[in-house]
This record gives sequence, C-alpha cells and structure tokens, in this order.
Amino acid sequence: MSERIVISPTSRQEGHAELVMEVDDEGIVTKGRYFSITPVRGLEKMVSGKAPETAPVLCQRICGVCPVPHTLASVEALDDSLDIDVPRAGQLLRELTLCASNVNSHAIHHFLVATDFVPEELFATAVDSVSEIRKVTQYVVDMVAGEGIHPSDVRIGGMAQNISELARKKLYSRLKALVPKVNAHVDLIISLVEDGIVIDGERQPIPKGLGAIDQPVFASDRIYGNRDFFDFDRFTEIMPESWYDDPEIGKRACSTIPLYDGVNVEAGPRARAAKFGGYTGKGVVAQHVTRAHEMKSYLSRAIEILDELNTSAPTLADFDIRGTGKIGVGAIEAPRGLDIHLAQVKDGKTQFYSALVPTTWNIPTMGPATEGFHHEYGAHVIRAYDPCLSCATHVMVVDDEDKSVVKDEMVKI
Amino acid sequence: MVLGTYKNAVSARATDKAIQKVSQDGGIVTALLSYALEEKIIEGAVVAGPSETPWKPEPLVALTSDEIISAAGTKYTFSPNVWALKEAVRSYGLEKVGTVAIPCQLQGIRKTQSYPFATRFVADKIKLIVGIFCMENFPYASLQTLINEKLNSSLSLTEKMDIGKGKFWSYTQDEELALPLKDTHGYEQAGCNICKDYTAELSDVSTGSVGSADGWSTVLTRTDAGESIFTKAVDAGIIETKDIADVKPGLPLLEKLSNSKKTKADAEIKSRIELGLPVPF
Ligand SMILES: Cc1cc2nc3c(=O)[nH]c(=O)nc-3n(C[C@H](O)[C@H](O)[C@H](O)COP(=O)(O)OP(=O)(O)OC[C@H]3O[C@@H](n4cnc5c(N)ncnc54)[C@H](O)[C@@H]3O)c2cc1C
Ligand code: SF4
Repeated sequence: MSERIVISPTSRQEGHAELVMEVDDEGIVTKGRYFSITPVRGLEKMVSGKAPETAPVLCQRICGVCPVPHTLASVEALDDSLDIDVPRAGQLLRELTLCASNVNSHAIHHFLVATDFVPEELFATAVDSVSEIRKVTQYVVDMVAGEGIHPSDVRIGGMAQNISELARKKLYSRLKALVPKVNAHVDLIISLVEDGIVIDGERQPIPKGLGAIDQPVFASDRIYGNRDFFDFDRFTEIMPESWYDDPEIGKRACSTIPLYDGVNVEAGPRARAAKFGGYTGKGVVAQHVTRAHEMKSYLSRAIEILDELNTSAPTLADFDIRGTGKIGVGAIEAPRGLDIHLAQVKDGKTQFYSALVPTTWNIPTMGPATEGFHHEYGAHVIRAYDPCLSCATHVMVVDDEDKSVVKDEMVKI
Repeated sequence: MVLGTYKNAVSARATDKAIQKVSQDGGIVTALLSYALEEKIIEGAVVAGPSETPWKPEPLVALTSDEIISAAGTKYTFSPNVWALKEAVRSYGLEKVGTVAIPCQLQGIRKTQSYPFATRFVADKIKLIVGIFCMENFPYASLQTLINEKLNSSLSLTEKMDIGKGKFWSYTQDEELALPLKDTHGYEQAGCNICKDYTAELSDVSTGSVGSADGWSTVLTRTDAGESIFTKAVDAGIIETKDIADVKPGLPLLEKLSNSKKTKADAEIKSRIELGLPVPF
C-alpha cells in the first residue's frame, strides 16, 4: 500500500518548500515531488518601466543569500542589452566579488548541514572554521563591492571604482592566509560526509547512489558564468500544473518549471564539476564533495585576480543609457547553479526583465532525486542540492477564491 | 560645561615649518593626523581636499602626509567628509581611519557609532577624530557672493580666508580684504543658526583659533585617544605648547563665544518651534 510522507516546510534551507513523497510498504520513495511554497516577489515587474540602474539595486534584494550573484547577473544582462564592453579591471573585480561571495555561501551551507554530519566533539571546530572563512570572504566583498550584503559598487558598465593598492595588498595577503584554513575545512567536510549522516542519533554511511539522477547538467562556466552558453531556442518554461501529476500540488506550487531541450536539468557545483572537470560522481555525496572542492577553486581564482589586478586602471565604461531594444543575457554561476537574468532596455527604460534563477532549474530535479531510497533520506537529498527558494518563485496567484494559479505574470518571454 | 567635557586645554602649534606655512592656524589638525599616520595609529585620514573648483573642497582619503598637508587650511564651505568615511574603509581598505570634522559632522559620525545603519563595519574603524571649532559655514554660492560681489575680488585669486576679530577676511597676493561679520549674516546655512556646538564637543581632540595668538591654536583634549595622541605628539616634538592661562585672550573668550552660540541657538530653536518648524533636537 502506498503512503504519502509530507515534509512541509523542508528545513535548513532558504525560503519555504514542500517535499511530498509516495512510499511503498518498506518506506522506499516511489515518487518524489518537491515544490516551492514561497510567496511571489514580483521584482521583475517592479523594475519594468524604470531606469535601468534600478534593476540591479532591486534585484539584488530577491534573496538574502545570493545578493551578489543576482546583482552581477542583473548588470551583466543590462550590459549586454546596452552593448557595453566592461573594462578589464571592472570585469576582474566583478569576478573577485563572485568568488568571495560563493566561498562565503558554501560556508553558510556547511553551517546548515552541520547537524547532519558533524559529531558533537567537532562541532565547535566546524562552526569556527565556517565563521573564519565567512569573515574573511565577506570582508573581500565589503571592500571590492562596497557592501557585503547588497553591494553598491557593482554597476552597469563595470564597477563604481577600483580598490586602492593598499586594499589589494591587504586582500591578497588575507586570502593567502586563508588558503590553509580553507584546505583544512574542505578536508574536514569531505571526511565527515564520507563518514555518513546522523539519522536518529546514529551515524550511517550514505547509501551508494542516494540522490543521483540522470538529468543533463546545466552549467555555463567553471567559475564566473558565460552568457554565450544560454540558447533561447532551447529554453521552454511550463506551468507547475502541467508538470506535477498531482493537481493539488500543481495548484499550490509557486514556481514555473524551466526546461532546456524539453527536459529538466541539474545546476550547481556538481553540474559544474561534471561539465568542466570531468567529474563522474552523482548524488548526495557528490554534491557535498564538489561544493567543498569549489571553495578551493574560488579562492585560488580570487588570489590570481588580486595578483593580476591593476588598481589604477579604469573600472567603469561610458555608455548610452537609451538602449537598443536587444534582450540582454546575464549568466552568473551562483553557488546553487546558473543564475540567468534577461533584460531589455529601450528609450532609457527597462522594458522587459526576467530572472531564471538557480534553484528554479533544480526544483523539478530534486523531487525525483529522492526516489529509490528510504524516505528518511528525503530531506538529506534536498539539503545536498542546497535549495534556496525565495528567488525561485515566479508564479502569481490571481484567483483568490480557489487559490489557483491562473496567470503567469513573471517570466514568460 | 560650556566647552563640553575636556581633559586639558593648551595653546599649541606644529613645529614643522612646512605645516606652519600652509595651515590655517597652528597646524594642529595637519600635524596630529600626519603624526597618527606615521605612528600607525591610523592608516589614512579623510580630509577636506582641494577640487578643481577654487575653494570648493572635496573629501580626500589621504594615505600619505603629503596628501594630508595638501588639504591644510580652512575652506568656508561644506566638505562632506562623513560621506567619504565609508569609501575609506571599503575600496581604500583602511581599518584604522582618522578624520577632521566640524561639530555637525561629529554628531553624524558619533551617531553612526551608536547606530551603524548603512555603516556596518565602518563606525568601528574610526580611530581618531580631530574636531574643529565652528561658528557657521557657508553654501558655496554664498562664498561666491561674499568674495566676488561684496569684496569685489575673485575666488581664484583668493589665497586664504579667515574669520577673526569680528571680520571675514580674504587674502590675495597683494590685498587684504575684510567684511564686517554682520554683513555675512544671512549667508550662512540655515542649520547653523540652531547649532549649539561651537567647540566640537564630541571629538577626540578639538582645535580652533579662538583664544590663542595668531599662528597658534587653542586645543582641548577630550577622550583618552585624543589625550594620548596629543601628548605623544608633544613629547615627540611635533607640537609645542603654551599654558593657556598665560595666553591672551585665552579660554574666557572661547567660553564667551561658545556660550553665546548656545544662547542664540536656543532662542532660534524656540522661535522655530513656535512657528511649527521642524527642529532636529
Ligand atoms: C566652516 C568653518 C568654520 C570655522 N569657524 C571657526 C570659529 O568660529 N572659530 C575658530 O576658532 N575656529 C573656526 N574654524 C576652525 C579654524 O578655521 C581652523 O580650521 C582650525 O583652527 C584648524 O586649524 P589648523 O591650523 O589646526 O588646521 P590645518 O592644519 O590648516 O588643517 C585644517 C583641516 O581642516 C579641514 N577642513 C578645512 N575646511 C573644512 C571644512 N569646510 N569642513 C571640514 N573640514 C575642513 C582640512 O581638511 C584640514 O585637514 C572653522 C573652520 C571651519 C571649516
Ligand atoms: S555652525 Fe554647526 S551646523 Fe553650522 S557648519 Fe558649524 S557645526 Fe555645522
């Protein structure tokens, strides 16, 4: 007899979502459905009809976890629409900001999953390690982008200003000093993940293949993001009602389902590692391991940038704000996957804006990833994909009576 | 207390002739900030630097003594130094910042230290604030009127401005022009008329010309940080001092002016409240 297990909301993630699992007599998941129940934000509508500079400022507030990737995706989309060539130093500073922010974000995720993996005697060590890494990387974002949470200096055309030579040297030496700490942190996390998860107070090895799926990987770049990767013609988007085979869930789900080549995809650290590093592992362990490894790649890229950066070079391009009407693409590899913003500027105003955000890509993929294993692992599978839902919500409930989604106001192109 | 809380009052001046040459009065601001920089008490300082427009200052994040010296001298119009403090700790990367501020700017800075809204990780990095006495300040357009129209001179020819002995002074290469202070009234910014702080009471150390002889400054050390750096600078021979009790007109004049600023401001505040106008305190 099949039973339904519902976890609502799923915990230790950003935003609200529900995991609904059909299980057989043994408790094995036969059907997993994961969907967002976070209320809609509507930022894309708010920026439409306004000056282009409004978009990055508002869109960075889509989410408190990923303000940096959203700001970057926004300015990249507007740069593209306005045909701007960002000066080299500005581009490097943007990439440096992302590297630091992504290390910070991965460290936050380690804090969120700490109770799953970290034994009591190591808890303080792990939390200290997370805090130390966060402190230094947030400091980088503060200095380079003007503000750690909602960066003020990431602008259309580049960056508002270069950093001073003093700041460059400070950041360089601090990030160098962070290398052994990050290495030790990554080793710690990987060894703990390999030891297994704690369920009901007992440590168990993670079952082989848990959370593995065979969907195509969706990644544009190893580190920063590459707009050329995204091909409009291969992208479609469907309403949740036609995706989830349960009408009730279809009605309640708050995010549209983006498809690439007609299928759902996997985005994030493992997708990047598979595409650009030839990584073959899949599932929960692979998600954790690749996420941890990425911290090292981001850190070494950040140090490389600080080594190369010319602090007296210009960082901001001049541009004609009137725009051409071209739909610009901004593609940023956010911690949880590819974050794409689309923007169209004409007559000095944003005419159209859309955000296709990391977790949206993973939402249809995470539910099925719980299938084939005991439902007790369900939440662990979801956490391994590190969903972050507030930016993912794009569907407007128009009919208040029966709460049905009758109109997609946000992302249809 | 009419001069605010302070530890010691002295008359003082910088011993460095290069500073004496460019400073407004005793060169205390320039000498203290440069000394703090050399002693690594601060890594840089936000000062009112020169801009492309004559006598219109622009906040400068100074990282060397030369840059601090380039900002010496009083500019009688606004230099939004507080605004640049954030930039100093962000893109400039300073973790120990010094600055010079007039009393109203000090209120802002101290407020950010109590409530760091939008100044996250900024307020705690401010290590030294040298306050300067201030009776009033002028919008740039007022300054143009005073110099160009009232004194029939030009801002680009002006080499120094000063307020003292009841007059507003403008010095060019070969002229010394003066305007009675009563003729400048009405040209100051409106807020100055309800400002009750003359001697930068919230600073670490404050200084101004009033009370001391020409080329000298009156100095009030107020906080431990201010007292400590001032004493070190004196011990190091950077600054020389005279007992304020031996100096004419000395503290009585400073107290008199400070008192009169508070009394006038109180009267103006009262009348604005009666008129239903907003008063920020
Ligand atoms: C608007 C104004 C009104 C003043 N009124 C009085 C007064 O009534 N009585 C009195 O005794 N003293 C007054 N002063 C202070 C006086 O003019 C000198 O600035 C002070 O004595 C310091 O001189 P110093 O030789 O030590 O400084 P210096 O070594 O010459 O350095 C002066 C410092 O002040 C900074 N500065 C210059 N202009 C401004 C500005 N507009 N805003 C912020 N910082 C600035 C410069 O960056 C520089 O670092 C006033 C100053 C200002 C700016
Ligand atoms: S009088 Fe007060 S308000 Fe006016 S400039 Fe001076 S300190 Fe500021």
